[in-house]
Amino acid sequence: MTGPGTAPVLDVRGYGLVYDTPEGAVQALADVTLSVGPGETHALVGESGSGKSTLAWAIMRHLPANARDVSGTIALSGEDILAKSPSQMEALRGRRVAMVFQDPSAALNPTMRLGDQIAEVLMRHRDMDRDAALAEGEAALARTGILHPEQMMRRYPHEASGGEKQRVVIATAFACQPELIIFDEPTTALDILTAQQILELFLRLRSETGVAALYISHDLGLVSRIADRVSVIHEGRIVETGPVSEVFRAPRDAYTRKLMAAVPRPEVRLAVPEPDAAEAVLKVRGVSVRYGEGGWLARLIGQGPAPFYGARNVSLDVRPGELLGLVGASGSGKSTMAQVLSGLRDFSGEVVFDGRSFAARTDFDRAYRRDVQIVFQHPDASLNPRQTIGTILSRPLRLYGLCPTGRLRARVRELLEMVLLPPEFANRFPHELSGGQKQRVAIARAFAAEPRLVICDEITAALDVSVQAAVARLLTDLQRRSGAACLFITHDLNLIRQLAHRIAVMQRGQIVDSFDVADADAPDRHAYTRSLLKAVPLPAEFQGESP
Amino acid sequence: MRDILRNPAGLAGTMLLALVLGAALLGPWLAPYDPQLFHASSRLQGPSAEFWLGTDQYGRDLLSRLLHGAPSTVFFGLGATALGVAAGAVIGVIAGVAGGRVDSIIMRVLDGLLAMPELLFTLLIVTFLGGGATQAMLAVALTFTPGMARIARSSVLSVRTREYVLAAIARGESRAWIVGREVLPNALGPIIVEATIRVSFAIMIGATLGFLGLGAQPPSTEWGLMVAEARQFMFRNPWCVAVPGIAIAITAMGFNLFGDAMRDAFDPKRNRS
Repeated sequence: MTGPGTAPVLDVRGYGLVYDTPEGAVQALADVTLSVGPGETHALVGESGSGKSTLAWAIMRHLPANARDVSGTIALSGEDILAKSPSQMEALRGRRVAMVFQDPSAALNPTMRLGDQIAEVLMRHRDMDRDAALAEGEAALARTGILHPEQMMRRYPHEASGGEKQRVVIATAFACQPELIIFDEPTTALDILTAQQILELFLRLRSETGVAALYISHDLGLVSRIADRVSVIHEGRIVETGPVSEVFRAPRDAYTRKLMAAVPRPEVRLAVPEPDAAEAVLKVRGVSVRYGEGGWLARLIGQGPAPFYGARNVSLDVRPGELLGLVGASGSGKSTMAQVLSGLRDFSGEVVFDGRSFAARTDFDRAYRRDVQIVFQHPDASLNPRQTIGTILSRPLRLYGLCPTGRLRARVRELLEMVLLPPEFANRFPHELSGGQKQRVAIARAFAAEPRLVICDEITAALDVSVQAAVARLLTDLQRRSGAACLFITHDLNLIRQLAHRIAVMQRGQIVDSFDVADADAPDRHAYTRSLLKAVPLPAEFQGESP
Repeated sequence: MRDILRNPAGLAGTMLLALVLGAALLGPWLAPYDPQLFHASSRLQGPSAEFWLGTDQYGRDLLSRLLHGAPSTVFFGLGATALGVAAGAVIGVIAGVAGGRVDSIIMRVLDGLLAMPELLFTLLIVTFLGGGATQAMLAVALTFTPGMARIARSSVLSVRTREYVLAAIARGESRAWIVGREVLPNALGPIIVEATIRVSFAIMIGATLGFLGLGAQPPSTEWGLMVAEARQFMFRNPWCVAVPGIAIAITAMGFNLFGDAMRDAFDPKRNRS
């Protein structure tokens, strides 16, 4: 905490930045005031496009050529860094201000050994010779809790896991004992349990070194666990600053309140009423998917790589009108199952839909494909950029003959209204819509086929918190109206506890646990389920009992 | 298009192209003299008020010959590229869409063809087909096919795994619809850009073939042939080699700059939201 009389490590006052674009100047940051005291962790929270990363780059003085400072000052321990020359900044970066990025794979040079990458920074900023730097690097790695640091030093980035790579990046950042470290969403690219370990590491190193940190994130639950103070940024302006507990319990600004309200709270159920215990509409029996069997040429020579299982002996049931949650870490096989059920991937085993059995991908006929629709994760990629929204939405209607040609336009309007979009969007192209709007179109396209099962593959993962909540509500609303069942794949445990009737947990291609949502906290849950649930803070813990 | 003109290189390319295409379309009408008319009294002259770009060894007006040669030279480049791109795109799309064994076989054959230098390959084909403008055009088109097929295939592959294509497959769309409506419109950009840049190569290879006597035959006014015919008199009047040479260079540069600017304009990363 910043006590009276201690000079802040980072002091940003009234800072403004514009980007010059062919369409004129775009204000990216306006009148940003923010300070980080010694040993303090200051969180900067905002949605995509709010300017939070731009601020980080402005502090590092590493901006694109069309960026221009227009007002204010940025001071590091009292020194104005806006006045520094590029070469002075070069000496400062890494030495006094370090940065940890979102994606550790992109932050490390793939052709250099991890040890050399740490040593390089030490040799440059702490004037060590190579042997001393390597020894110090190994010690730095050991401090991050990597089990065999001497082996890790000799590895290349592709030989380390995402969590290990992020540890190396963090070790490098801490190695020069900087005054300030900027963390730009360091756990977003990692899965829940690894992210949890990285956070614990961050907390430990912070208490050992007493470094000041600016922690950029969109995840309010995470911020509540690690930060002392928080600033909420919206459209380039800081709308609210204060101690974490105060801001989260009693947000003053309207935007902060909206952000808080959008955080999924498991106790607030959004799901449609529990359907009657009917016969399951979809039964998956012993489905396995093998990956990496090599090409036909490799098989011919007999040198194919060893295959591994994307999904192994998976069985699950979805009842009519039900929402089944499928959760798991990245690479656990959740999306593989979505691809199997939508006929995009070969499998062995049996899929029974409405009493009809399918044993291979090629058995899926048009009736099955109409009844089972899929919505993908990335709204930007799931709509053809060269077709209008109207063309996209009318396609399933034409394909399945659901609507006479003369009624198509009217039906497209109905579909758009159903997903709360204005009917004139029918004439627009996907790039004219926002991410949330595009995802609504993708949902409308799935429901246009009047399906009996909709597979949602991480449909909220690429969206901002406030948009996520609206899309989730829309989905359950459509379910209520159409009676379709839903297989909802996600890694967001708080969200799925709001939406689902039952949850299945996948780990390394297998379903390890399956339970009714009410029993999520029951003591007989699988150990893996419990560790997943524990890794995610409940909004009630940081927001108080009522929003 | 506005993006292309905003870029200085693109603007220069567009202006050069406009000049060259103008000459190709209107050249024969703009020419002051008959390109085959001998002016026996004024041979191998430099530029003058009478002959703006000078005359060649028979006293023929170079400007008139240049303007008359423009259509054959430029349309040779466009025609050869169009044929090569069409054939290459079809092969590449087939390989990209079919995948698996068909893809590997097609691509290994193309790799073999690509291993041969372009000009050498063209010469080989011309030797089989015999000399002449049409044969030369076919030869250049054939030479371009493997490279274009590679580009078309990689473009198709990158589009094929997009989620909107997966959505179409999951919907149970026919293969023709998926290729024609979902994949191709989105894969065309890189193919068109590459084609524009290739036109300049085609013109240069065409000129080379003309120079070697394997393309257009005298008394044609094809630019490469003009350079070849004037070669012996290069030291007595450099103009008769320089004029067609510079014309070839300007045309190639125009297509090149225009293609580069088009590639930048198509690049989605540079598009404003």
